Amino acid sequence: MSEVILLGDEAVARGAIDAGISAAYAYPGTPSTEIYQAIQDHVKEHDLPVRGLWSTNEKVALEEGVGVSYAGRRCMVSMKHVGLNVAADPFMNVAVSGAHGGLVLAVADDPSMHSSQNEQDSRYFADFAMVPCLEPGDQQQCYDFTREAFDLSEQLQVPVLLRLVTRLAHSRAAVTLEAPREQNKPNYVEDPSRFTLIPSNARHAYAKLIDKQPALQAYSENHAANPLTLRGDGKPGILVSGLGWNYLQEALGEALEGYNLLRIGVYPLPVKKIRQLLDASSEVWIVEEGYPFIERYVSALGLMRERPIRGKLTGDLPRIGELDSDAIRRCFGLPVNVSLKIEGLSEVLVGRPPRLCDKCPHSDAYIAINEILAEYGPGARVMGDIGCYALGYLAPYQAIHACLCMGASIGMAIGASHAGMTPSLCVIGDGTFTHSGMAPLLDAARDNTNIKVFILDNSIVAMTGGQPTMVTDEEVVDLVAGLGVPREHIRVVTPSWQKKEQTLVTIREELAYTGLSVIIARRACVTYAKQIKLYKRACEEQTE
Amino acid sequence: MNYDLVLCGVGGQGVLSIAWVIDHAVHEAGLHFKQSEVHGMAQRGGAVSAFVRISDQPVASDLIATGAASLVLSMEPMEALRYTQLLRPDGWIVTDVTPLENDAYPKHEALYQVLFSVPHLVAIDATRLAQKAGTVKAQNMVVLGAAASQLPLPTALLEKQVQELFASKGERIVKANINAFRIGAAASQFATALLAAGVPSGVLARVLPRLVFEPQPVAPASVDAWCKRLLAADGALAALRLFEAGATQSPDAVPA
Repeated sequence: MSEVILLGDEAVARGAIDAGISAAYAYPGTPSTEIYQAIQDHVKEHDLPVRGLWSTNEKVALEEGVGVSYAGRRCMVSMKHVGLNVAADPFMNVAVSGAHGGLVLAVADDPSMHSSQNEQDSRYFADFAMVPCLEPGDQQQCYDFTREAFDLSEQLQVPVLLRLVTRLAHSRAAVTLEAPREQNKPNYVEDPSRFTLIPSNARHAYAKLIDKQPALQAYSENHAANPLTLRGDGKPGILVSGLGWNYLQEALGEALEGYNLLRIGVYPLPVKKIRQLLDASSEVWIVEEGYPFIERYVSALGLMRERPIRGKLTGDLPRIGELDSDAIRRCFGLPVNVSLKIEGLSEVLVGRPPRLCDKCPHSDAYIAINEILAEYGPGARVMGDIGCYALGYLAPYQAIHACLCMGASIGMAIGASHAGMTPSLCVIGDGTFTHSGMAPLLDAARDNTNIKVFILDNSIVAMTGGQPTMVTDEEVVDLVAGLGVPREHIRVVTPSWQKKEQTLVTIREELAYTGLSVIIARRACVTYAKQIKLYKRACEEQTE
Repeated sequence: MNYDLVLCGVGGQGVLSIAWVIDHAVHEAGLHFKQSEVHGMAQRGGAVSAFVRISDQPVASDLIATGAASLVLSMEPMEALRYTQLLRPDGWIVTDVTPLENDAYPKHEALYQVLFSVPHLVAIDATRLAQKAGTVKAQNMVVLGAAASQLPLPTALLEKQVQELFASKGERIVKANINAFRIGAAASQFATALLAAGVPSGVLARVLPRLVFEPQPVAPASVDAWCKRLLAADGALAALRLFEAGATQSPDAVPA
């Protein structure tokens, strides 16, 4: 036993390593990035036999994880909440095939959208797939639940979803570690029908998943992390999950002793305990971080009968954004603390939004694109994508006019072009391009759609802290050519003020052509210059 | 004992390094803590913050409630004012006065006017003091040093963790950061002594950023001389002149 200071994400990573994982896969995304980062660092430092990758995207990461499970060994796959949309196909189906070696999917939600485009709640995905979900409420539980999730996965032969949220993923505390467990020996699935989901097999597999449900239900009913405390009939009750419990303790303190209380950290929902809480309570507050998942479930089952429910759906708790103790105090009709008042504060306090770094290659790319667009008048539009370059939406550039999800820029440009938008431009980074931009570019190449795709190749995945990119430099050209874009319309420019005139000439030439062009703006990220050198050297050594 | 503090600044100013030092010192002192921080998009030159919650009991929430923080420790004067809603009415702000400007940055005079009205304030020129310590990058350790006497921790524990944090970077960097920490601590002791002697916060605030401290406490005789000077009838005027002149000086040279 030892005690170390860890981020929630790092505690998950250590839990996975100590649970005996043989491999880990991930796609970087805030707030989940540090899980795989920490696994990678720990494995390297201690020279452990654990394989892993920053995968091409979340779908691939999970499929790699399923392969490890198929071979009988344990695997951690991690991603942010919207990454699970990308991985939804393997996720829904590995729920049906079931796991063999322990398979745990750590998904970090981002209530308040600190670094995301939505607040989707991954508990719905676990429910949808009918697999267990563990929701740690502190850093110690991050470690303990991760270890437990692997045992549970093997015991009931299901993948397990570990749901994190930003405030836990990115918060540190002391965590007690237990002795690590040995890795599984390879032990392949014997029955090939199990993972071969052709309809005749899938029907059996699905029936098995349904058959597992009572065992999952019993697991959650009896779990120590779902404690029910009844303090007497007719008292008000609280149903609380995840980080909601932390804020609740902070907000109510000793007054909590006046409530019947059910805490939930393990799903499927412990329905019997919920019934007991409701039966004993005069009214019930439902406090959960994220969507009103429990509240909807309870309402839909008619479990409330005539008792009033108070939660996010009823307007008693804020529906949008993360919870905090102040919000809960207000909802319970309690005053919040008085704070320091300073006169004239609002006159001197202005916002400081994030921005592109000084000398960032993206800024030069946007300056060039803006200059060209000015020639087309104010109606010209550019589809953007996810990454640092999404900051091009903000002043002073205001150069992109859409940003939906990873890789969407190219498909949206195709559709807009078909709808008559001319010119139809889009920008996508090198990392996002390999994540999910290649498939739509294949569409554009087959169709020779009249769009101009700017690939901003800065040699790194920068927004999430500098992970290696899959392809860079000439490899991008070859990849684009391989997808069917004619080489004469793959143009490489250097986004810099010195080369601006040349860049403008190239863009004009391609805009004069009716058809698909790919303009690669190639210049390395200034912030991660050191990492880029390291990655390139490592690549060279690998090929030698 | 509960002690909440906000660490803040702009992405890249070393806020998380301060958090690392405090976390490890708190842990070594046998206290409980939780420390939340900001990763991702906001780190690109945006406003960043970290919350540290220290207690002798287990800490529940990772966030600080309105009016609960005892201290805001800031790398930048405008950022120092961003979290005042979290600050207790008797809370402290310890900050560098060196502006890191963005597009709509306020006029410096107006900003200082508001900042210097904070009743419990230690405002220093940490950027300049860090240069003196050996590297401008040690700005964050100067600010930490300037807050050390406020924290519910022995200063020696903090200093030990500063040493740990930079150990892998070689002796020169360790020394510069320890120096930076001690220079900050000297500024803080000086400020505390003057405030205790009754020097108004707004007067001291105009003197402190102009003083170049050494990595050891200011001589008691100099502290006394400053108290007398600033408590004199024209003390506020002398402070204002010193601030507006902009030049820096040793704390041992008390203006006439």
